[in-house]
Amino acid sequence: MLIKLAFFNLWRNSRRTLLTLSAMVISAAMLILALGIFSGMFADMLASTTEQYHGHIVISKKGYQDKRDLYLHFPVTAEPTQKLMQTLKQQTQVRGISTRLRSFGLLSHGNESRPAELLGVEFAAEADVTTLRHKLIAGHYPDGSRRDEGIIGSTLARRLNIQPGQQLVFVTQAADGSIGNDLLHVSGIFTSGDQLRDGSLVLVDQCWLRELMVLPDVVHEIALRVEQPLLAADLATQLQTRLGPNYEVLDWGKLLPQMQEVIASYDVSRMILVLILYSAAGLGVLNTFYMSVMERSHEFGILLATGMPPAQLRRLVLLESLILGLIATCCALVLGGALTLYMEQVGIDLSDSISAVTYAGGTIAPRLRAVHEWGNYWLPAVCLLAVSLLASYLPARRASKLQPVDVIRGL
Amino acid sequence: MVRIILLLVLTISPLTALAETSLAKSDLNNQQLQQLIRQVETQYNGESAHALTTMSVSTENWQRTLSMEFWSWQRERFLTRILRPAKEKGVGTLKIDREVWNYLPKVDRVIKIPSSMMGGAWMGSHITNDDLVKSSHVDKDYQFTLLSADELSYQIECLPWPDTPTVWGKLIYTIDRPTLTPKQIRYFDEEMILVRTIYFDQLQKTGERIIPMRMRVQPADKPGEQTVLHYQSIEFDTGIGPAFFSLRNLKKR
Repeated sequence: MLIKLAFFNLWRNSRRTLLTLSAMVISAAMLILALGIFSGMFADMLASTTEQYHGHIVISKKGYQDKRDLYLHFPVTAEPTQKLMQTLKQQTQVRGISTRLRSFGLLSHGNESRPAELLGVEFAAEADVTTLRHKLIAGHYPDGSRRDEGIIGSTLARRLNIQPGQQLVFVTQAADGSIGNDLLHVSGIFTSGDQLRDGSLVLVDQCWLRELMVLPDVVHEIALRVEQPLLAADLATQLQTRLGPNYEVLDWGKLLPQMQEVIASYDVSRMILVLILYSAAGLGVLNTFYMSVMERSHEFGILLATGMPPAQLRRLVLLESLILGLIATCCALVLGGALTLYMEQVGIDLSDSISAVTYAGGTIAPRLRAVHEWGNYWLPAVCLLAVSLLASYLPARRASKLQPVDVIRGL
Repeated sequence: MVRIILLLVLTISPLTALAETSLAKSDLNNQQLQQLIRQVETQYNGESAHALTTMSVSTENWQRTLSMEFWSWQRERFLTRILRPAKEKGVGTLKIDREVWNYLPKVDRVIKIPSSMMGGAWMGSHITNDDLVKSSHVDKDYQFTLLSADELSYQIECLPWPDTPTVWGKLIYTIDRPTLTPKQIRYFDEEMILVRTIYFDQLQKTGERIIPMRMRVQPADKPGEQTVLHYQSIEFDTGIGPAFFSLRNLKKR
């Protein structure tokens, strides 16, 4: 009965209702879109840091990530490591596993020499963990046909004045103290947008580097790519317990503490954005309801006079706004979802006006792209409902306190 | 009475201090100090020199010994080549003025050491590329103070001249007074923390000169590690001119 009445009341002045509704829908839909784009930028940044270099989880000997000590390695062919690899392969969460050997040394071509970081990988496995394969601007990704091939960062390539197909010399101190040196064939040049990697990183064949470094059968780390990066910390904790204190299992949040801060600040700014938008939307709703209650004073007076209890009248007004809120939420979710979907599929390219920005170790690509995230929907939806209920509480209270005789007389 | 003693003490103490400094001053003036340091830093150079050495490097993780042949011209140029072990035979280093090149016979390439890598280890030892280039300029880049002088030794402190870019914040030379050869040199960083000490011993008379045939580099933060450079033989004024020190000669095996 009350619900019927509430619907009837809403449609009686459909113009007023539609105006209120459109204000609520548009503010909520825009918020959903803005949060989607926000999440998109964040996902880009996270991907750029984890998928271009670290991976989501890195397993190494304790202290290696801090010191990058050449001698903090572990045997890759030994049984415990092989068992670990087997377990990791069976985990559905784990999408890619790559073993890595790292060396720092001097790269030289002609008269130019530069310090560089060489990452010895199995190229096929590495492509499952990082996306450098898709960042090539020249040449090709090594296919394993020859062992002395590698891909090199674009800034480093420019400084060394080298093209794909040419040879570099790499010199470093091998693990036995001797002077490790060999020729490296550049098969491709990658650009990740991250100045640090582009200016110093080279991916080479693990066996080739192992021989040069005189480090048979060992690696420095195992890098993993997981299905859901935000759940990486849980898996890392599990692995840490399994491997014991001699090893260190770090998820991207620990490898890149700045990135963790970015997420925290993202959550805070999301809340602030919601607060600002909804205080504006809330005032609008409050205004409309207040006016409508004022307009209908006469009607409410009659209702009260015919014997409707004030509490029920209050419920009636609240119910009206709840219905309005629900309709608005549904419309906003559909509209917001559609806009986000459009931005996800198409996006806006800004590369003409701005270039990539490196911030907190991550790279923000020069384009706007949205991603769907559960929190970007439920937060605006819940807030919209709450705001419409809050905004109608005052008018509802006022309506229930009317003196029937006064309002019918038109006082 | 107390007053008199106080007075005595007060007047005598500056007098004795004065006496000491004047003794030091009369002993060696600034120019002589610079001359002495220059002599120490160029003890292995001469007009030209040729030497056979072994270099033993011990670190936490490995130990090895290299046999090397050295040539030098004044203090501006030198060339060295590894003779043993076989794996690294022919690996060479050429220094001309303030630039350093390495030759790698395995890949038959010459590599110029970029300035950003000058602090790096030379041939895996505790000697840096900077040592090869800059140490011979200590007498120009630093100013000197005689810290102490007794019958057996001098202690000389070297502080960089203002506005001169140097590797070290302070050097302290201990020099054997009778032979005017170095006993030890202590190297401090800009925060005046000891970084390493080089010890010299096994004095030998070679021609006109008395030189220490053994040099031991001891990093302060890794007491278990060291590099010992041992001169098997050294001869001076061999008649080699500056033209010998070329990239072409570096590549010759």
